[in-house]
Amino acid sequence: MPRRRPNRDVAIVGYALSPIERRASRPLGVIAVETALAAIRDAGLAVGDIDGFTTGAVLPAAGGQAAIDGASIVTAQWMAEHLGIRSRWASGFQGYGQLPGSVVLAVNAIASGSADYVLVHRALANPPGRYHENPMTEATGHAQWTAPHGLWGPPAQIALPYNEYLQRYGATREEMAAVVVELRRNAAAIPWAYWTGKPITVDDYLSARMIADPICILDCDIPVDGVAAFVLTSGERARDLPHRPVYVGGFGFGSPTATRTATVWTLDEIMEGGRFAAEQLWASSGLTREDVDVPQLYDGFSPLVYFWLEVLGYCGIGEAHDFVQGGTIRTEGGIPIASGGGALGNGRLHGVPQMLECYLQLSRRAGARQLDRADVALACHSSPHYGGAVLYTSEPN
Amino acid sequence: MGPLVKPLPSPDARTAPFWAAAARHVLALQRCDACGRFAHPPVIVCPSCHSGLASFSFVPVSGFGVLRTWTIMRDAFLPAFRADVPWVIGEAELDGAPGVRLLARMADPPDAPLRYGAPVETQFEDLAPGVAIPVLALREG
Repeated sequence: MPRRRPNRDVAIVGYALSPIERRASRPLGVIAVETALAAIRDAGLAVGDIDGFTTGAVLPAAGGQAAIDGASIVTAQWMAEHLGIRSRWASGFQGYGQLPGSVVLAVNAIASGSADYVLVHRALANPPGRYHENPMTEATGHAQWTAPHGLWGPPAQIALPYNEYLQRYGATREEMAAVVVELRRNAAAIPWAYWTGKPITVDDYLSARMIADPICILDCDIPVDGVAAFVLTSGERARDLPHRPVYVGGFGFGSPTATRTATVWTLDEIMEGGRFAAEQLWASSGLTREDVDVPQLYDGFSPLVYFWLEVLGYCGIGEAHDFVQGGTIRTEGGIPIASGGGALGNGRLHGVPQMLECYLQLSRRAGARQLDRADVALACHSSPHYGGAVLYTSEPN
Repeated sequence: MGPLVKPLPSPDARTAPFWAAAARHVLALQRCDACGRFAHPPVIVCPSCHSGLASFSFVPVSGFGVLRTWTIMRDAFLPAFRADVPWVIGEAELDGAPGVRLLARMADPPDAPLRYGAPVETQFEDLAPGVAIPVLALREG
């Protein structure tokens, strides 16, 4: 029996983004509620219209900080309660690729009739103290395989497959400058980006502090306090609302099959899982890579850009380091993977910059950055083998 | 506040045999009795044949292998490691244990001739009475 395609009659109808600050002066929950209210207004709706809520509420810090609802994380249930809404449906996405995952939950809720107007939000905190510093004295669970060796925190975990990539394919750290400098150049022109007005040079990149070779500080997005909210509804309801709807066209998620030390996967597993995610994207949407006008690849750590480029088929496996040279990914005239400034330019917002750029471009709300061709967009989050990606279209099915 | 203490591995039901062998300076990896698949870190259910915890053995391996990747740690997120900066963490494929990668601190300094595919061996570092962790070291040749 042929596989049913996911419902393509669900659309984003409004959004809001809070200020992106290194450390906000107000609690995350306050910012989250404000941002949700602004998104609902933007969609031309009233608070009471919202009857479904979803998010992925992970705090990605490895410092052992408490996940306190309303302070360091904001769950879907918390959001509903504090908007004072008795929601028909509120549920969180469990896993990585939190934002694409939440969008899929919202699509399913709307398509099944569980909710009519769903608020999808993502609230990220930069908790007090050093982000990944952990005072543990005993290494339990997954930490027993890493902490006794001093291996701790995502930068070192991504350094391992990245170095395997460099060694295996004869790539160099210098080549990554093309990616990071382009993302920061685009972000510099975006008023809300954390690094607005602050482009960097190749020399800045190459002289940046090393954290875990070959990862330097500029390969990592900067932790921030920030919240984004989007409102989704059916295509039919969307047509009565003020903004041009942006439809969810399909999605793909990775799915690691090997059992590994937590979040330390091998390069081959990343590529194998990522190719599976890409296959799901095209199969679920009926679209191909050539259809995508606005590919927003995830860049929370810069090597993930290489991995996404390769699994999506923009170039062959092991070729991305070469592919990105010479203006291939320059927004003007190239493949605009960096047009939204990414995580490296906007701050650690876990897929928000990617989804936001897709929405703004396809709804024709991107202002000075509006691309000429913007009918199909792709928003990726996390590593391709265990994160996910959503395709958006400017037209319904 | 006393001196900073490096975290010691805390064995659990699933991992205790690994650490008991490590304390004797033996690298013993979990293998499924039913289908022969190795798993490291140890699993609760074999993803290949779905056998449960009772049907695993911990099998000694040589500890020889090849280096597949490494990182040089220039920053310590665990405070007790600050005095060690910079140090090397390596990941090796092990002979006789298909699919397994051993992630461990390396005995070699950051300026050692680390390379993809370099032969390595497993040594052990005693952290406390009855507690040792595997350490990877480059082999000659």
